[in-house]
Amino acid sequence: MVRYLILALLPFLALFLQSTFFAAFKLGGAVPDLVLIFVAFYALMNSAGKGAVYGFFCGLLEDLYTGRFVGMNAISKALVAYLVGRYQVNVFKENIFVGVGTVAVATLLNSVILFAVSLGMSEVFHVDSGVLTTVIYQILYNSILSVPLYLWYYNSAKSGWLRYNGER
Amino acid sequence: MLRLLKNWYFWLLVLLLVGALFLMSHTATNRENLSPVERIIREAYTPMQRGVSSFKTRVGSWNDIFSGKGDLQREIDELHKENQRLSLENQFLREYRHEVDRLRILVGFEESNQDHLELLPARVIARSPGNWYHYLVIDRGLRDGLRKGMTVMHPSGLVGRVENVSNTSAQISLLTDRETAVGATVEETRDTSGIVEGMGNSRELRMINIPYYSQIKKGNRIVTSGLSISYPQGIYIGKVTSVIRESNGLLLTATVQPAVNFDRLEEVLVVTGFNREGSTSVSEAIEED
Repeated sequence: MVRYLILALLPFLALFLQSTFFAAFKLGGAVPDLVLIFVAFYALMNSAGKGAVYGFFCGLLEDLYTGRFVGMNAISKALVAYLVGRYQVNVFKENIFVGVGTVAVATLLNSVILFAVSLGMSEVFHVDSGVLTTVIYQILYNSILSVPLYLWYYNSAKSGWLRYNGER
Repeated sequence: MLRLLKNWYFWLLVLLLVGALFLMSHTATNRENLSPVERIIREAYTPMQRGVSSFKTRVGSWNDIFSGKGDLQREIDELHKENQRLSLENQFLREYRHEVDRLRILVGFEESNQDHLELLPARVIARSPGNWYHYLVIDRGLRDGLRKGMTVMHPSGLVGRVENVSNTSAQISLLTDRETAVGATVEETRDTSGIVEGMGNSRELRMINIPYYSQIKKGNRIVTSGLSISYPQGIYIGKVTSVIRESNGLLLTATVQPAVNFDRLEEVLVVTGFNREGSTSVSEAIEED
C-alpha cells in the first residue's frame, strides 16, 4: 500500500518542485523533468507494460496541470517508458551508469516525441535553434539529478518502500 | 505477435493512447474554461505554491547566490543614478501631460487608453514545469474577477495574457511563449505594423510581417499597436536589436529584446479593464474579439 502511495506522490511532488524550485534554478534556460526521471526508473525496475501505464498517468497529471494539449505528455511518457521497459531485461541495473544513461536517452526520446506532436497539433509554433540548446541542457540537468535519485530509487526498489514483493 | 495481442497491457495501452489522442484534439483549440479535473489539480497546487514563492523571493536564483557584494553595490549605484534621471524626466513629463490634457479639451479628443487602465496587482507563485510552454501562475483567479484573455503587464512592459483561470489562480502565457503573437508598432514613427511573436527563450522576441519600405531600425521602441482588441494600445514590448530582409524581399523581420526580465518577475499587473473608443471592459472586448 505504501509503495503505491509513494508511486502516486512522486509525480505530484516532482511537478510541484519543477514549477517552483527548479523553475527558479534553471540550467542553461532548461527546467529538469523529474516526472520523466521517475517514470524512466519505474520502467527500468518493472516492465514495459507497467512502465507505459505509469508513464501515461504521470504524463496525464502534467497535462492536466498545464491545461493545454491534454494527452501530449501522457503519450510521450507512455512511449518512452515502454521503450525503457523493453530494454531493461538486458542491462545490469545495479550499475549507476545504467540509470543515468537511461535518463539521458529517455529525455532525448521524450523531447523528440513532444516536438513532433507539438508541430503537428499547434497552429502557431515558432521553432529555432534554441529548441536544440534547451534539449541538450535538459539532458544534462536530468542526468546530473538522476545520480542521487537513482541511488535512492534503486535501493528502495530492492529493499525499501518501493520493493514490489511483500507489500509494506 | 500473437503473444503481444494476448497481453492485456497492450490493449490497455492502445485504449489509453486512443483516449489521449481524443483528449488532445478536444483541448488543442482555445477553450473558454478549464475542466473540473484540471481546476481541482490547480487548486490543490496553489496553496503550496503560494507558500514557496516567498522562499524563492528570499533566495533568488543561481546568479544571486554567486554574485558578490561588489556586484550588488554596483547595481544599487546604477539604480540610484537611474532613479534620479527618471525623477527629473518625470517632472518634465508631468508638465507635458498637463499641456496635452488642456489641448485635448480644446480639440475635443477622448482621453488615451493609458489613462484608463484598471490594474490588479498579482504575485507570481509558480512557473511552467517544462520547457515547451512559457507561462506563469499568479495568485489571482475567478474570485478576483480575472477572465481568460486579459492583458498582463509589469511597470517595465508587456508580460502576456491570461490563458486560463481557476478559482484562486490564473495561468499567464508569456510573450516569449512559442504560441504567443501580439500586434505591434514602432513607437517613434507609428508607421510600421507587424506581429511580435515568442521564440521560446526569455531573451529574444521576433517581429514579423513588417513591410519592406518600413523605416524600422536598431534601437526603435516597439509597443502594442492596439489592433489586437484584447491588448490595450501603447504598452511597451521591447527594443529592436537587428533587422533583416526576408528571402522574398517583400517583408522585414526584426529581433526585439523584451523590456521585461521574464526570469525574475515576482509581481505583475493584470489589466482588468481599459478605455477603448469610449469605455469598454476587457471582458466585453474579449467577447467582441
